[in-house]
Amino acid sequence: MNALRARLGARVRARLQADPNIARIHRKQALVAVLTRRLHIIKIALFLVGYLWMAAIPSPRLGRGTYIDENALGPGQVNTYWNWGDVANADRYLEQLEGLRDANATSEERANFLMTEFLKLGIPASTQNYVFTSSAGNVQGTNAYAVLSSPRTSGTEAMVISASWISRTGEGDGTLNLRGVSTVLALANFLKKYSLWAKDLVFVISDNYVDGMQAWLSAYHGATQSNLQADELELASGVIWTALNIDYPGHSFSHLGIFHEGINGRLPNQDLLNSFQQISKWTGGVSVLVYDHQDSSQTDIPSWIPSGFHEEIQAYTYRSKNVVRHLGYQARGRGSGVHGLFHQFRIDAFTMFGLPATGPHGFHAIGRIVESTLRTTNNLLERLHASFFFYILTTPERFLKIGSFLPSAVLISVAMMFGGLRIWSDCAWIPDLSDKKEAGQDKWIQRSRPVIPVLGIMLSTHILGAVLFSAITTTWFINNQTLASTLILTVVSTIPLSALLAPSQDASRAAPISQLLKALNLCFASTVISIITVVNFSLAMSLAILLGIPLSVSSPSKILPIRLGKFATYTGLALGWIFASEELRKALWDWEILGVWFAPFVCIVYTPLVLQAGLVCLLPL
Amino acid sequence: MKSSLDVGLVFPLLVAGRLLLALTNVSDALKHNHQLSSPLTSYLNLQEGIYLFQNGIDPYSGGVFRHSPLFLSLFTTVLPRSRVVSSIIWTLSDALGAWALVQIWRARQRVAQTSRDGLIAAAYLLNPYIFLSTLALSSSTFENTFALLALMFAAKGAASPALLAAAFLLQISLSSVLLLAPLLLLIASSPISQLASPRSFAGNGKKMISLLVEFLVFTVVLTLASALVSGGWSWVPQTWGASLTLPDLTPNVGLWWYFFTEMFDHFRPFFLMVFSVHLLIYVAPVCVKFQHDPLFAAFILLGILGTFKSYPTMADPGLFLSMISVFPELYPHLRYPIVTTLLHLHAALLMPLFHHLWLNQGTANANFFYASTLVFACANGAALTDCIWAGLRIAIGEPQEGFVVVQE
Repeated sequence: MNALRARLGARVRARLQADPNIARIHRKQALVAVLTRRLHIIKIALFLVGYLWMAAIPSPRLGRGTYIDENALGPGQVNTYWNWGDVANADRYLEQLEGLRDANATSEERANFLMTEFLKLGIPASTQNYVFTSSAGNVQGTNAYAVLSSPRTSGTEAMVISASWISRTGEGDGTLNLRGVSTVLALANFLKKYSLWAKDLVFVISDNYVDGMQAWLSAYHGATQSNLQADELELASGVIWTALNIDYPGHSFSHLGIFHEGINGRLPNQDLLNSFQQISKWTGGVSVLVYDHQDSSQTDIPSWIPSGFHEEIQAYTYRSKNVVRHLGYQARGRGSGVHGLFHQFRIDAFTMFGLPATGPHGFHAIGRIVESTLRTTNNLLERLHASFFFYILTTPERFLKIGSFLPSAVLISVAMMFGGLRIWSDCAWIPDLSDKKEAGQDKWIQRSRPVIPVLGIMLSTHILGAVLFSAITTTWFINNQTLASTLILTVVSTIPLSALLAPSQDASRAAPISQLLKALNLCFASTVISIITVVNFSLAMSLAILLGIPLSVSSPSKILPIRLGKFATYTGLALGWIFASEELRKALWDWEILGVWFAPFVCIVYTPLVLQAGLVCLLPL
Repeated sequence: MKSSLDVGLVFPLLVAGRLLLALTNVSDALKHNHQLSSPLTSYLNLQEGIYLFQNGIDPYSGGVFRHSPLFLSLFTTVLPRSRVVSSIIWTLSDALGAWALVQIWRARQRVAQTSRDGLIAAAYLLNPYIFLSTLALSSSTFENTFALLALMFAAKGAASPALLAAAFLLQISLSSVLLLAPLLLLIASSPISQLASPRSFAGNGKKMISLLVEFLVFTVVLTLASALVSGGWSWVPQTWGASLTLPDLTPNVGLWWYFFTEMFDHFRPFFLMVFSVHLLIYVAPVCVKFQHDPLFAAFILLGILGTFKSYPTMADPGLFLSMISVFPELYPHLRYPIVTTLLHLHAALLMPLFHHLWLNQGTANANFFYASTLVFACANGAALTDCIWAGLRIAIGEPQEGFVVVQE
């Protein structure tokens, strides 16, 4: 662009004074000149605004209060009938379940017991065996479920009330969800007495933590999964619209926590969460939390900060805890509980988690809350669609709409795009040094931009990523993780070193490969980020942070050690995750069992993008 | 590099690769895709129609089957109907199209063989818009092949085969009638690049009347054959009529469907007329402006069709994009190829994504997908205007120090 300006110097003005187009050309040139001269500042400003915006997401000043959008829901408008008799029932179920636990009952025995209990209530029930095969070994179990047909309609729609055998405590660390299961049993006993259900009620006690529900839902929807062998379901019902997952691991609970992130970053319709929040607060008298984070206002704030800011800082700290937790679940595509599996089948679901405490709430409160929430979802005439699907809950009663967080990542991606386009257009020109006649005025000559080899390099890094992914999904990798990680890192980081052998080109005739690679790398990374924002904002935000600045500052160098050093840094950024063995194992398990595409995405998109930036540093100037 | 692009080696390799791909089960995953096949070209609808036809039910009575009766006659007599065989037929049709494109290039350059032949075949056979549509068994593959065949014969001066191919093309896609004018001009003149030296039409103008008559005869014969096959005229409103009256609002990559889902019924006829006439108004200006190079005019009209026609699939703009490879003289004068490429990249990623968010995941709505088709339309429009600019710019010659070319 500079070149263009230079070439169209004062002579243009003199010669074309009479032309009516001259003003237009000048205006355009002036605009382009201003923009190109300040492009660097614009870029920095975009980065700055983007990152500051991200930092501002937890701010109490951003966002607004939650509200019910779907009027049909009418949350908390009904009398509840769940009473102490039902609590006693739940206690009795709990005793029996504790007996099973103490007797070390197998999955099958447990499922059979649960089925028998449902059958005793006169509700058709059945069990389902399943086996998942994965590179980390097999996972098997037995689900129990029961279908209470709606007394009022033909059973074309259904609601699910579920509990998994293992609680979500510690992301499924093995704590049993006995009270959750007994709540479901007692609820089955209680709910069948009422004739007001317009939808079938499906009770599911899924085995283990998440895999049981995955098997059950796959079978229910007839979805095939190559590594899953599951019995077909003997009982069927209609289309499931909503699902409530009950997680009550402790003796009593002080709050109910909402866990709402589904796999692959999908969220349930916010109306469901808002209704639950209202019902819990006003019908059950239980305050609601996002996750298990209590709003502790005891954070230490340095005394030099004026006390007027203390409240805001505290609010910010509390909210940022929630937001970071949300980002952690959503970016990795990991559901925050069993409910997360429902979302892939367009079912709005969340987990209500009874935060373990010595009191004051128990079966009485949770029963009433579930009853009332079911009455609310029972009112639906169509799927939840009104409220929001893209949001960030900062507190149970405040949230950010898509418009108030999405632009942050898009700004970063725009900055990267500007950077890429700038380098691309600069590549086309080189100052002509041979002709020194007109001193003081640069002469620019045009040079070619060989795109095909650059695209070849980019494609091969992505293929390398795909090979890397297939390597880490083998049983060999899982069994010898430490050795294999080192080996893979060595191989993957050695292959790009072949770029050192690339011959240096005549820069006056063709643009250097390294610059073109950087241009296209930035453009492609920017595209990926801006497109991912809509599917999974948290992932896009993480990418914007991990790729934004690093990809923009990659540059070749003349000194070999510096080149190698830079490349090593980028390799670390690209492949460092391979040594987070526990995290990696979980991500691979999520991919193989639940179909979470985070692991392949990192291998096939993220790692190659960073490696390309590393290659920019390796390639000759 | 040159030897590796030898067409004798590259072409069979590419076709073999494409055939291998066709034999996998990708088709089953893609054939429901709204971006790759429209209601007018969908393989599922074709199968439905053939089934009804074989069971003695008029396939055009139901409002699902919108293929030409010629497809019915072919698939119920000559061609077998298994999925695998269909995949092979579709892929071979693409191969034929690629071959025709190479022939067009050679005719334009007036040489028997060039080092770019392999590249041009690759530009057609490896264009994802085209090969994904073919894998989805969308009949737009045949539209592209017929369009390329017609242009190839016209470029070689073989009038009757060109007109016959154009008549077939008209049978399966009414909006392709736009190509008739540049095609006739091309037969009457030559395919050689004249962009750098514009002049008035040099061909034999009188010949055009007889060519037009010949085309009409072919069309009438094929139309009668269609009527004979389907036993009546009920196919006309269901096939040709559908691209004018838009009865099926299944989402596609074009600009029509959303507009007409939003429209009050009493405005419908008026806007249908506006949208259809809008396509026609480009023919005369483009043909007049590029009368010295009718092949280029046809190329521009293909781009316009791909952007604005009523039921486009990805393959329609794909044909335009692949054809850019035949006009390398444009490249130095393109103003913003990188922007166009990035727009296409965005659109190609956004469309399947928003389609999934709307129809599978249920978190988005029709506006999302429509927005992504607008990005796609912008990408196609950017490619089109840049090509028109470059095609006009060539004539002005090399950029001169101190001069700027502006458009008034």
